[in-house]
Amino acid sequence: MRPEGFASIPRKTIIYFIVVASFGLFAFRLIQMQIIDHKSFDEKSASNSIKPLEQVPLRGVFYDRNMEVITGNSPAYTLRITPSEYDKSLSRVLETVIDADSGFIDKILYNNRYYSKYLPIRIKRGIDFKAVSWLEENSEHLHGVDFIVEMQRDYPAGIIGSHLFGYEKEISPDALEKDKNYYSPGDYVGHSGIEKTYEKELRGEKGFNYVLVDAKRKETGKFKDGKMDKPSLKGRDLVLSIDADVQRVAEDELKKFRGAAVAIEPKTGEILALVSTPEFDLNQFSYVTTKEYLSDLYTSPDKPLFNRATMSGKPAGSTFKIMAAIAALDMGVINENTIINCGGGFYFGRFFKCHGGPHGPLNVIHAIEKSCNTFFYNLIYRIGLDKWSEYAHRLGFGHKTGIDISEDSPGLVPNSKYYEKIYGPNWPRSIMASLGIGQGEVSATPIQLAQFVAIVANNGSTYTPHLVKGYLKENTKEFIPYKFGEIKTGISQRAFDIVKQGMVLVVQGAGTATGLKGDELKIAGKTGTAQNPHGKDHALFICFAPYDDPKIAIAVVVENVGFGATYAAPIAKKMVEAYLLKNKIKKGDIKKSIGINDQLFGVSQ
Amino acid sequence: MRIDYKLEDKFDLGLFLSFLILFCIGLAAIYSATYNNVVAAGNFHRQLYWGLASLLVFFVIYYLPTTTFRMISIPSYMISLFFLLAVLVIGRRIMGHKSWFGFGSFGFQPSEFAKIGTILCLAWFLSKKNVDIETFKDIIITLGIGLLPVGLIFLEPDMGTTFVYLGLILVMLFWKGISLFGLFIVLSPAIVALSSLFGTVYFIVALFLVIVGLVFFRKDLFFSGSILALNLGAGFFTEIVFNALGSHQQKRILTFIDPNSDPLGSGYNAIQAKVAIGSGGFFGKGFLAGNQTQLQFIPEQWTDFIYCVIGEELGFIGSIFVLILFLYMFLRIIKIASSTKDEFISLTLIGIFSVYFIHLFINVGMVIGLIPVIGIPLPFVSYGGSSLVVNVFMLGIVANVYRTRKNYT
Repeated sequence: MRPEGFASIPRKTIIYFIVVASFGLFAFRLIQMQIIDHKSFDEKSASNSIKPLEQVPLRGVFYDRNMEVITGNSPAYTLRITPSEYDKSLSRVLETVIDADSGFIDKILYNNRYYSKYLPIRIKRGIDFKAVSWLEENSEHLHGVDFIVEMQRDYPAGIIGSHLFGYEKEISPDALEKDKNYYSPGDYVGHSGIEKTYEKELRGEKGFNYVLVDAKRKETGKFKDGKMDKPSLKGRDLVLSIDADVQRVAEDELKKFRGAAVAIEPKTGEILALVSTPEFDLNQFSYVTTKEYLSDLYTSPDKPLFNRATMSGKPAGSTFKIMAAIAALDMGVINENTIINCGGGFYFGRFFKCHGGPHGPLNVIHAIEKSCNTFFYNLIYRIGLDKWSEYAHRLGFGHKTGIDISEDSPGLVPNSKYYEKIYGPNWPRSIMASLGIGQGEVSATPIQLAQFVAIVANNGSTYTPHLVKGYLKENTKEFIPYKFGEIKTGISQRAFDIVKQGMVLVVQGAGTATGLKGDELKIAGKTGTAQNPHGKDHALFICFAPYDDPKIAIAVVVENVGFGATYAAPIAKKMVEAYLLKNKIKKGDIKKSIGINDQLFGVSQ
Repeated sequence: MRIDYKLEDKFDLGLFLSFLILFCIGLAAIYSATYNNVVAAGNFHRQLYWGLASLLVFFVIYYLPTTTFRMISIPSYMISLFFLLAVLVIGRRIMGHKSWFGFGSFGFQPSEFAKIGTILCLAWFLSKKNVDIETFKDIIITLGIGLLPVGLIFLEPDMGTTFVYLGLILVMLFWKGISLFGLFIVLSPAIVALSSLFGTVYFIVALFLVIVGLVFFRKDLFFSGSILALNLGAGFFTEIVFNALGSHQQKRILTFIDPNSDPLGSGYNAIQAKVAIGSGGFFGKGFLAGNQTQLQFIPEQWTDFIYCVIGEELGFIGSIFVLILFLYMFLRIIKIASSTKDEFISLTLIGIFSVYFIHLFINVGMVIGLIPVIGIPLPFVSYGGSSLVVNVFMLGIVANVYRTRKNYT
């Protein structure tokens, strides 16, 4: 046997050495941890018996432009489970109590399995009072189960505002990963509309109350008498540019249709009303949304979740004639004395018919009044496609408006490059005729149309359309405005003066919307009908009022009903009246429950 | 009949008392750790019954003829393999591991029992007359016997036990008398594999050291090349295995590399364990008075993190006392192992020592933050019936050998 072989002395020594060295290392480490660094570990351990209780801040509310609360908060109960203390055999009973599907709780716990087991997870919001009292009675058997009072959205002014306000939704795992420092699982975040865009302003700042817990995790008192507590900071109260009355009227008038209406204050770009129908019930989102309700929303052919006001691009129809007229006047290819004869149509490769004609010789003002197609078929050829497209862009079409809610579609304004791509360099020039009257490939969203008419009303300038004017400072209630970009078209005043003369005749003269004629309010507008290859035409109407000093600019689109004058114009008129004749229209009958909700607003936890 | 020998001649009282004291400290710690836990309230009593049962096992093994162990070496290994296979097929899933058989209210862990079979079988093979550990063939057979259960355990997957088996093979080969170069061949792939987990730089450094080693041993080029290839393979294989690991095990390895990366997730246990031990101080916070333990900052502290309870509530005094008891046991077993001339028995005892030692090293090392969190119980102290019975069974073999040591010297 070799001396270094089996069980030899050197081998035994090596093993002895390894064992003793390991013990030496451990002993050294123990001395280091338990004697040298004892103090710092002791402090950490002491702070471990301090339990932070999260204080959810009150979400900022929405005021309308007249300081009426239109989105507030009301208290509701939320069931929570702390996984480390929870026994899953309780799930079945709990699910019965909170009226949830079997497996509901375990599924939520499973989804949150990578998160700390020692922090409570929200299971269900808006549990009813019966469930709450059951939880209270049985609390001693329900380890790791508790409930808290949380604030939820309510809408005291009777405004639906489904696309405008938007809703909150439980934070997605991805979003949670991105903002781990602030959110915890089960937190709700703005998911659409203003709630989404202004989430960071609205959410405020979480607070923490530190309490001492004993060995049984029972609270024994406040840590350092609450001196270390960090109170939650309420979110910013936003002041919206919305006028509750105009919004309510628009919602009410549009509820029978699919469509959209947008009203803007021309001088400021402030949106007075923004409606897209069909709407959906935001209250369904502020509590736990039922599966049936959600699947209804997703599968409905009317697409209620789709924000038509900012997303739905459709041919602008005759309302686009105003755009062409402005372009032609500004370029100088016509002036107010330029006469084009309407013989009932226009020939370019084929015959384009004028409706209601022949109108005979017309200048641009009367062409707008009568909405003469012949005049505008001719006009676009005088302007040229690319110039026409350039003016459309300057007047806000073909690109996103930049409205402060995230859903915003650019629409489409074609130019020669666009057609070259499709048809090659010899694209049929006859296509332009349809564009001249706002049909064909051109598409605009209701918000773009409203912005356009605001620009016209305000003689070529306005601000980026927006829903939120500013916020109230927490302690002083001082109004702090947000800043928005200015839009300047650089188009001559003369061009606007002339088209506005035509627009006022549309309503006040012998035009296409004389049904809106009135002494009290001088409305100027333009009807439109967007051809729809899939069904009945879409009715459009754009207008501003009063003519002399425009305070409101409106675009209304009603889908699949027919002529603009018949369907869209009356809605616009009601909105104008709601805004300008506010004091004459009796208030109070629309909103009844304001007293109660005023009290709830501002309640802190 | 005349009693002509002292008790100590036949019975290693020191070894037995060390075990008994460790078990009692463990019981107390389990009592404390489950004091405020409704779910685990019965664990203290269960452990007590297991303790009584294992005493019975101890004395049965103690009185068996020593030759029995050689006889059962192959059958016990075969039965172990059978159960390891069976648990993969019908095992009950606990905490994501498929390593338990369920028999009513208590479980049975084949990978624990397989330790006995593997030690005996390895000792049997290595002590065979015609086995030459310097031949490639016999090294491969040895590795095969040891790694077959590891392969099955790894499939479960249970990383802690895997390490125990790997260490066991290594220590037994070493004891048998493997040359430095043989050790280098066995050990270097393991080190390269481990370093590859830390990143490319470590992997390359480890490979470089292997090349230095090969130059040092001056074997022929083909042989050296094969060994280098083996090392490279081990590194890349680890990468594949790492990706195949359960996500919680991956996370644990990654948090070892950077423990603060996830303080509320898997780094949590590592941090809380250190806080518990460090805050214990010199004298400890007192029995049932450790807030870390009583507030259950570490889940299931009565199993793998039992040493934290001792460290927190009994302080440095308690912690070091436990270490000293283990140290005494280990030195004692090594001494008995080296005093016998029977290779089979000597190898068996050194195998038993290595299982105890690796358990202690990983378990204590992890709770005091020297190595990553790998779930493995502390012998005799942690809660768990299978592991207690197996450890006491092996202690019974040691005591048995002590009893009959004069026949083999």
